[in-house]
Amino acid sequence: MKKTWPKMMSFLLLSLMVLLAGCNFSGGSKETVKKEEGEKPVESTDGKSGSVLNLSLDNDIPDLNQVKTTDAISFAILNNVMEGLYRLDENNEPQPAMAESYERSEDGLTYTFTLKDGIKWSNGDPVTANDFKYSWLRAMHPDTAGSYASILTDYIKGGAAYAAGESDADSVAIEVKNEKTLVVELIQPTPFFVGLTAFVTYFPLNEAFTTEKGNDFGLTYEGILYNGPYVLTAYDQAQGVTMEKNPEYWDKDKVAVQKVNMKVIKEQSTALNLYEAGELDKVYLASADVNSYKDSSEFNTETEFRTYFIQFNLGKEPFDNENIRKALQLAYDPQVLTDVILNNGSEPAYGLVATKMAGVDGKSFRELQGDVIKPDIEKAKELWVKGVEELGKTPSIDLLTADDTVSKDTGTFLQSEYKKNLGIDVNLVTQPYSGRLDTMRAGDYQMGVNRWGADFNDSITYLDLWNAPSNPHFRGNYFNEKYDELVNAAKSEADENVRIEKLLEAEKILLEDGIVGPLYYDGLSYLQKSNVKGIVTHPYGASPDLKWATVE
Amino acid sequence: MKKYFIIRVINILITLFIIATATFFLMKQLPGSPFDEEKLSNLSEEQRMEFYARYGLDKPLSQQYVLYMKNLVQGDLGESFYFKGQDVSTLIKNRIGPSALLGVQAVLLGFTIGIILGIVAAFRHNTMWDFSAMIVAVLGVSIPNFVFAALLQYYVGLKLGILPVAFWESYSSSIMPTIALSLMVIALIARFTRNEMLEVLQQDYMLTAKAKGVPPFKIIYKHAIRNALIPVITILGPIVVSLLTGSLVIENIFGVPGIGSLFVDSIKVNDYTTIMGLTLFYSAFFVLTMLIIDLLYGVIDPRIRISGAKE
Repeated sequence: MKKTWPKMMSFLLLSLMVLLAGCNFSGGSKETVKKEEGEKPVESTDGKSGSVLNLSLDNDIPDLNQVKTTDAISFAILNNVMEGLYRLDENNEPQPAMAESYERSEDGLTYTFTLKDGIKWSNGDPVTANDFKYSWLRAMHPDTAGSYASILTDYIKGGAAYAAGESDADSVAIEVKNEKTLVVELIQPTPFFVGLTAFVTYFPLNEAFTTEKGNDFGLTYEGILYNGPYVLTAYDQAQGVTMEKNPEYWDKDKVAVQKVNMKVIKEQSTALNLYEAGELDKVYLASADVNSYKDSSEFNTETEFRTYFIQFNLGKEPFDNENIRKALQLAYDPQVLTDVILNNGSEPAYGLVATKMAGVDGKSFRELQGDVIKPDIEKAKELWVKGVEELGKTPSIDLLTADDTVSKDTGTFLQSEYKKNLGIDVNLVTQPYSGRLDTMRAGDYQMGVNRWGADFNDSITYLDLWNAPSNPHFRGNYFNEKYDELVNAAKSEADENVRIEKLLEAEKILLEDGIVGPLYYDGLSYLQKSNVKGIVTHPYGASPDLKWATVE
Repeated sequence: MKKYFIIRVINILITLFIIATATFFLMKQLPGSPFDEEKLSNLSEEQRMEFYARYGLDKPLSQQYVLYMKNLVQGDLGESFYFKGQDVSTLIKNRIGPSALLGVQAVLLGFTIGIILGIVAAFRHNTMWDFSAMIVAVLGVSIPNFVFAALLQYYVGLKLGILPVAFWESYSSSIMPTIALSLMVIALIARFTRNEMLEVLQQDYMLTAKAKGVPPFKIIYKHAIRNALIPVITILGPIVVSLLTGSLVIENIFGVPGIGSLFVDSIKVNDYTTIMGLTLFYSAFFVLTMLIIDLLYGVIDPRIRISGAKE
């Protein structure tokens, strides 16, 4: 019996060693292991200083299959290792990338893209027009597509039928004239189409390579062929990626950073500690940390094309009454919400279309429209009294929100504002993320906090939501012929100035009818090391862009 | 012994079957789907159903269940909905390493220190030794391990810079999470061992051993510890399982690519196949550990002989 103990101990030790061998530490040659290895020089401070950039990802990497993927983390990686016809610059303007130029037909429906000379995949093969056609068809075909297929099928002629499996590839209006020329025909004039080609789902794919990899495509770093500023040299879904400068990239002289580490860190406080320890160059802040860093020169904020708003349900009492809707729309101050409650870089919303979203001629939609809904307590009180009279009773009101901290805080804020300004008690109903969506789809709510994040830089993404929606409950059972007409007219309008006029009017109608109550434009606060410059972030789609980043 | 073993294995299979069935139906009651529901909300009901149909999610629950069970029997856990294109078994295989390493280290460390503290406290009953050991034990139980982990990270990792703040890059990355995880084990084991030891020390056979002239070390090793450890082994099961299968919070704080956070995340995003795969994995691991522990009793205490009891 005595002898069993040493035996057990050695067995335990043995299994521990097996475990150690099997738990894939990502270290090895990485520069961040320097503390233990001691003698190794730190790459980021040696002669070639400034060649390494360290960033974090806030969750695991779900899917690097570009035609299928839908999440911001995968986008953040793909945007730097792949490239579409165009690439967005720091002002969110599309700049020629794989394409050299494009021509648009008179009616705004046909785009002819000419590809650059000397563009190559990371294996040396040339990037051709066919690579785009192949990829776009793949992104639409029911067997290979993901839930982002609509970003192609909504615009490209014949796409929707192909995606539904009703027609074959020949009926999709993507034509390869020759190796360098790609012709695309659209359903309606789409002034933002060139910008769309910078989106992940529009990136090209090398057919031979993709076919060869089969089911392994996109699962490892060797399972992807690159054409962007960087290539992946390590990829682990739970740990992150390492990117290195792509020697085959057409514009490689502009790429100053040699190596980028993007590591998964789910805990915001850990990311902050890593930033303080100098192991990360940029970190997003939790709102609790904002006040401690607000005055730092490394502090900054950015807004996203994501608007939070109250959706009033016209299909339910009392919001079939316009005065009640308007009263609740005017009785809170979004500025208090963003400055005091959220305190994370968000901006108060006085309209629906996100701030800085493009309008026309370099002016943003918001600059053209101005503020539509400004809080007005006195008027709100008046409207409330009037509404209650019309109803003949004081209604009881439930406010539906999701159950995450920010949503609940927003709900509590509205509850207290309504109590203070109108003297009414609003009940908060909180539900899990998907539960709230289910409830709203079923139309089983009076008013709910909803949001919309844009995938492209045009106000139509917002305004089309209430244009004869497929699920009217979700959009508050709003039926207004004039509104639908305006949005539809804008969609088929080739003249950009006329188009924007219609869209501006549509937003005004939607807001003044009291269908939605604007809350805030989502924002982020972050710290970035002062020696790091040129990280371009976009308020929508794929962000960040590290092509122009430098580390001094 | 053989008969006992066979009966236990059959029991285990039945247990796993019940767990799989219950989890399957409970999980399907979760609102939402594995897809971006915010985007899907723009579709009409029919379009949405069409989309679900691509993944077989439009079929009646009973059909989905039968299909899943059929695959399961053939050892196929299916493909993850969230990590598209990845088999659930591959996911588990990739993630279990770090969690298991931390778990084994935390159990070893926790047991060693816990038992030593417990023995010292019992032999120096009602002295400063006893009190300090028990203060450590109370602190260990009452301080949540994520608070301890955050403190460790801030002071040891950031301020002193002795160990890496986070990430999973070399063996030293595993030290702080191990310590944070073992705190609770130390506390539990120390208190258990102390109480059991106190009881054992009062038994007549201890007096006999002393009277025989057995050296003190041998008394502790051969008579006291072995008898005091029996109840401790009982709590070993749940501790081992919870530690080896990962701790979500500790893994997140130290950026460990383990299995704990995978489980919680898979529930958040309705990744049905991953939820099922991990639940089954956890359950199988748990029942097997319990089996091993039952067999261990016999090694530690010859009085508990499984075969002798029934035959």
